[in-house]
Amino acid sequence: MGDVHEVPRHRIATSHLAQFIGQPVCFVGRVEKIHPTGKLFVLSDGNGKHTTVELSDPLDEEISGVIEVVGRVTNQATIMCMSYVQFREDKSPFDLELYDEALKIIHEFPEYYPFG
Amino acid sequence: QRIRSQNIVPCTVSQLLAAEQVEETFRIGAVEISQVTIVGIIRHAEKAPTNILYKVDDMTAAPMDVRQWVDTDEAGSENVVVPPGTYVKVAGHLRSFQNKKSLVAFKIMPLENMNEFTTHMVEIVNAHMILRRNLMPASKAPQSFGTGMGDVGGYGGGGSLPVNGLTAHQTQVLNLIKNCPVPEGMSLQELKVQLHNASMSTIKQAVEFLSSEGHIYSTVDDDHYKSTDAE
Repeated sequence: MGDVHEVPRHRIATSHLAQFIGQPVCFVGRVEKIHPTGKLFVLSDGNGKHTTVELSDPLDEEISGVIEVVGRVTNQATIMCMSYVQFREDKSPFDLELYDEALKIIHEFPEYYPFG
Repeated sequence: QRIRSQNIVPCTVSQLLAAEQVEETFRIGAVEISQVTIVGIIRHAEKAPTNILYKVDDMTAAPMDVRQWVDTDEAGSENVVVPPGTYVKVAGHLRSFQNKKSLVAFKIMPLENMNEFTTHMVEIVNAHMILRRNLMPASKAPQSFGTGMGDVGGYGGGGSLPVNGLTAHQTQVLNLIKNCPVPEGMSLQELKVQLHNASMSTIKQAVEFLSSEGHIYSTVDDDHYKSTDAE
């Protein structure tokens, strides 16, 4: 799994990537496209903005819907993925725009939602 | 001044790890907490004869140990282990043993609707903001977000402290100055950072009033103030 799961990982949207270069982050987005090699995929956030996620080993399964990625932001402002999880939407769809509103709130009030 | 929360307080793992233990209770800032809820993903699950130990991760810190006791007397009551990779809401009591924090869970509920996880994030900010504002004898109700998400009612049992002739705003400024540990006191700039919605002129008015009433005094310059009440 790697050490990145033992440290605080800021929840971010695409617009925050530049601020968090080199840092461990957590990104939630909808799968837009997957590269044929399976080593790269694109997620859209609650604003519709796209983030590229890279993998060191290619995907061994089909991914779709809303994915939560844990990884580190690269110098190119992509995310090097260490692990990912698919959000269940079998009973209710996940509201990504609402999640983006929540991100705005936790970024505005870090004293009430501290990372680390 | 102690504010006890009689209710279950939604928290991040980072807040629980930062909570200070004072004798039998825990405190996040000045707020006493005991029963809490966290929402996170199960990274690890280990079953023992009398309990199940989970590691629950909400991204704010390293995963937290969550222990669920199994009732060995009840026939056929083998608790089903929630598999790693599942998002859950945990309700439990905060514990500390040999300086390591953990939760003893009385309820672990897999999330069926992931929008609950979004709601929990906002409820944490709302709850801690309200609990901290209850430190001040406010004559008005605390500000909430009005997003319609989650019911705010019931957070915090305090608020019945005597009014001391100051407005809610002046009291907020005074408490911030009182609680500042820095030798040269609190600066106007720092007050502006802490009071998101206040303008500098509003803050200056409050500081002038408090100073003229003798609650605070200036230190290194007219931008820095300390409380006349020794804490």
